[in-house]
Amino acid sequence: MFEFDLYRVLSFAFQFLDSFAVIVLATVGLAIIFGMMGVINLAHGEFILVGAYATTLAFHAGAPLVLAMVIGVAITTVYGVILERTIIHRFYGRLLDSMVVTFGISIVMIQLTRIAFGNSLPQISTPFSSIGFGPYSYSTYRVALAGVALLTLVSLYWLFTRTDFGVRARATMQDADTARSMGVDTDRMYTSTFAIGSALAGLTGALYAPARSMNPEMGSGFLVEAFVAVVVGGPSVLLGTPLAGGLLGAVNAGFTTLGGTFIGQVAMLVAAILAIRLMPNGITGLIETIRQKRRERA
Amino acid sequence: MSGRPTTSVVGRVRGRLEGPNTMGNTNGFWIAFAFAVLVFAAYPVLFGASAANRIAMFLVFALLGVSLCFIWGYCGILSFGQVAFFGVAGYTFGIVTINVTNYTGMTLGIVTAIGVSTLFAAVLAYFMFYGGVRDVYVTIMTLVVAIVLHTFMQQTAGSEWAIGDARLGGFNGMVGIGNLGIGVGDVGITFDGVAFYYAALATVVAVYLGLRVLVNSRFGYAMIATREDEDRTEMFGYDTTFIKFVTFTIGGAIAGLSGVLFVTWGNYIDPSQFAITAAAMPVIWASIGGRESIIGTIAAAIAIQTLEFQFHDQWALVIVGSTLVLVIVLLPNGIAPAVRDVLVEHRRPASPAPSEEVGD
Amino acid sequence: MSVSDPTIRTTPAVEETGETSSRILQTRGLRKQFGGLVATDDVDFAVEEGELRCLIGPNGAGKSTFLKLVTGRHEPTAGSIYYDGMDVTDLPTHERVDRGISMKFQVPSLYPELSVRDNVRIPLQRVATPGEFEARTRETLERFNLLEEIDTVAANLSHGQQQRLEIGMAMTLEPKLMLLDEPVAGLSIEETAEIADLLEALRAEEEVAFVVIEHDIDFVERIADRVTVLHQGAIFTEGTIEEVKADPAVRRIYLGEGA
Repeated sequence: MFEFDLYRVLSFAFQFLDSFAVIVLATVGLAIIFGMMGVINLAHGEFILVGAYATTLAFHAGAPLVLAMVIGVAITTVYGVILERTIIHRFYGRLLDSMVVTFGISIVMIQLTRIAFGNSLPQISTPFSSIGFGPYSYSTYRVALAGVALLTLVSLYWLFTRTDFGVRARATMQDADTARSMGVDTDRMYTSTFAIGSALAGLTGALYAPARSMNPEMGSGFLVEAFVAVVVGGPSVLLGTPLAGGLLGAVNAGFTTLGGTFIGQVAMLVAAILAIRLMPNGITGLIETIRQKRRERA
Repeated sequence: MSGRPTTSVVGRVRGRLEGPNTMGNTNGFWIAFAFAVLVFAAYPVLFGASAANRIAMFLVFALLGVSLCFIWGYCGILSFGQVAFFGVAGYTFGIVTINVTNYTGMTLGIVTAIGVSTLFAAVLAYFMFYGGVRDVYVTIMTLVVAIVLHTFMQQTAGSEWAIGDARLGGFNGMVGIGNLGIGVGDVGITFDGVAFYYAALATVVAVYLGLRVLVNSRFGYAMIATREDEDRTEMFGYDTTFIKFVTFTIGGAIAGLSGVLFVTWGNYIDPSQFAITAAAMPVIWASIGGRESIIGTIAAAIAIQTLEFQFHDQWALVIVGSTLVLVIVLLPNGIAPAVRDVLVEHRRPASPAPSEEVGD
Repeated sequence: MSVSDPTIRTTPAVEETGETSSRILQTRGLRKQFGGLVATDDVDFAVEEGELRCLIGPNGAGKSTFLKLVTGRHEPTAGSIYYDGMDVTDLPTHERVDRGISMKFQVPSLYPELSVRDNVRIPLQRVATPGEFEARTRETLERFNLLEEIDTVAANLSHGQQQRLEIGMAMTLEPKLMLLDEPVAGLSIEETAEIADLLEALRAEEEVAFVVIEHDIDFVERIADRVTVLHQGAIFTEGTIEEVKADPAVRRIYLGEGA
C-alpha cells in the first residue's frame, strides 16, 4: 500500500515535469510576441509545426539529430521573419484583427502541409530510454525537456534584463513612441522580437519532433496550452510564463494522475477559465495588485 | 431619409428597419433584397430538392454567422464560442426528440434547446462581464469554453453517457435526432425536404429583419456606443456591463436557433461542430463579409460554404484561408462596407486614417 | 517668498454641521493611491449649487484623478463623496450619471465614426422619446452653434467644434453637476472665448454647477466664481482668483514645477 502511494507521488512528479515543459515551451514564443507587439499569433502552433517538420525531414535526409534540430530552428526563424515583414507587421496593436489574420495563416499552413507531405511523417525515435517504476514508465527525454524549458527561461531572462538589446526591447514594449524618440529603431525591434518568438516556436517543434506524432494538426495540440498560459500569466511575460506553467502544469498533472489524460486536460481548461475570471490581468497582474496593497498599508 | 416622421404604413415599417447602423437604406437596396429573397424562394423549383437541401445547410450556417456579427460587429465582443451555443442547442434538441418521439417532443425540443443555449450564454456572459473580463480575454475565454465542450463530448462514446434513450455517442455523434416540427401529440406539421428549406429561409429573413429593427433602436445605439467607447458611454449613464450581457445572451439565442436547424437538417450532430476549425468559421464569414454588416455576413457565409462545396478537395481550405488573409489585409472592415462605399460613395466621407483603427 | 505663510496653506475647514443641503458636491477625506503614489490626499472639497469652481494646479497635482473619483471611474482608497446630500461613494458610474453628474473628458472623446446627429442621439435617447429626437437634436446643436454640421462625421469636425459638441452632449442629460477636464486646451483665442460665452449662457439658463480643470489662467479669471489649487494630491489653497493670484506660495509651486 505504501509503495503504491510512492509510485503515485513519483508519477505525479514526472507528469508535472512533462506538463510544465510542454506549457512553458509552447508558451514562451507566443508570450514574447504578445507582450511586445500586442499581437496574438494564432498561427503559433503552425510555427511549431514548421520546426518539427523541418527537423524530421532533415533527420531523415541524414543529418544527426542535434544538427537537424538546429536546422529546424533556423528554418522556422526565417519563415517567421518573412511572414512578419509581409503580413503581420501591419497588425501591431490591432489585437482582434491580428487574431483573425493569423488564424487565416494557420488554416492555409495546415492544409498546405497536408497537401505537400500527406497526413503524417515517419516519427524520429525518441532518444534515451525510459524510466520505469512500479506500473509506470516515463520517457527520460520528455522529462529532460523540463530542464530545457527552465534553461530557456533563464536565457530569456538574461537576454531581456542583462543585454543592451533587452533594455531597448523592454523600452519599446513599454512605450514605443518614447523609445522611438530616444533613437530606438522600433521597427527593427519588432522584427527581431518576432524572430526570437519564431525561433522559440521552432525550438519547441524541434524538441518535440522525436516525442510527438508528426501530422499537419500537431500545432493545435500546443496552441491551447500556449493560449491559456499567456492569458493566465498576464502582462509580465518573463515572470508570468513560468508561474502559469507551474500552476497549470500542477493542475494538469494532478488530475491526470487521478483520472487520466482527459480529466487532466479538462481540469486545466477549467482552471484557466477560473483564473481569467478571478484574475482578469493574470497572475502577474494579481501580484502587482498585492504589492500595491502592501505598500498602501505600510 | 431616416428619422423623419412618415405617415404611410410602409414608411413607418421602413422607419423601424432603417438607420445609420445598417447598410442598405435605399429603395435600390430593398429592391435588390426582395429580388434575392425571390431567387432563393424559386431555387427549389428551378434546381430541384436536393440542390435546395444543400443551400438550406448554408442558410443555417449564415444564421450562425449572424449570431457572431451581431455581438462582434455591433458591440465589439469577438467570440470564438458561438459554436458552443450552436452545439449545446443541437444536443439538447436531440435529447428531447429522441426521448419524446412525437410532435410534442419537437415543439418542446425547439423551446428547450433555445432556452438552454440562451441560459448557457447568459451564465457565461454574467461570469465574464460582471467579473471584469475584457477584450481579447473574452475572446480566449469563449474559445476555451468551445474546446472544453469539444474535449468533453469526444469522450462520451460509452453507453453510460446517455440521457433517457438518447446516447451522446462521443466522437461517433448523436444519431436519430427528430425533424423540425410543431404540434401536439400526433397532430402537427413537419418541415423536411423542401419545407425545411423554406423554414430555414424564412428564419434567416425574419432574424435579419428583426435584428435590423433592434440595431436601429435605442438598444442598438447603446450597443454601438459601447463598442466605440465603453468609458464614454458609461458617462452618458449607460450600464455598459449590462448592455454587453444582454447582447451576448441574444447572440447565444440566435446561435442556439441555428443549432436546432442544423440537427433537424441531418438528424445528426457530432463534436467536430465545436472543434477549433468549426469555431473559427463564423469569424471567417463575418470578417470577409464585413462584421458590421449583417447582410454581408449572410452573403459571405453562403458564398464561402458554396465555394468550399464546389472545390470539395484539398485546396478548398487553402483558398478560404488565403481569402481571409487577403481581405483582412486589404479591406479590414470586410467586403460589404467596401461595396457600399462604391455604390453610394457620397454617403460617407473616406474612411478615417488607419491609425484611428488601432483601438479596434 | 522664502518663508511659507501657514495661514494660507490651511485647508478651509469643512463645516462640521453635516448640512449639505446647498452643496451639490462634497467630499470628505477622499484619498486615492496607486501603489506608493498618493494621487489624491485626504481631500475635503465642496461645491455649492450653481457655482462654477475651477481646479488648478501643476501637472501631476491629481486634478484628473479627483474628477475620476467623483464620476466613479476610480474607486477611492478611503473617504466619501456626497452628491446632492446623498452618499454616492459606492455607486457605479452610470447611476451617478442618472442622478445628474456629467463629465467632459480631457481628450475629446466623441464617437468619431458616427455623425454629429448620432453622437447627440446617444445621450439624448436616455431622456427623450423617439418622436422628439430630431427636434431636440436640432435644438441642442443650434444652442452649441453646430446645426450646420448635423450630418458631418464627428472625426471631421474642428477641434473647437468637437469641444462644443462634447459639452453639448453632456448637457443633453440636464445635469446638476458638470465636470469639465480642460475644455479649452489647444483652442485658439477665438474658440476659447466662444467656450467662455457658452458656459456663461448655460449658467444663466440652467441650474447647473461646474467643476472645471483648466491651465489657462485668463480663461479661469473670466469664468470662475472660486478657485481651488491642488498640489501633490492635496488642496493647497482656495479662494477667489484674485486671492489665489496674489498668493506667492501658489506662484512658487508653479515655478518649482519646471525645476
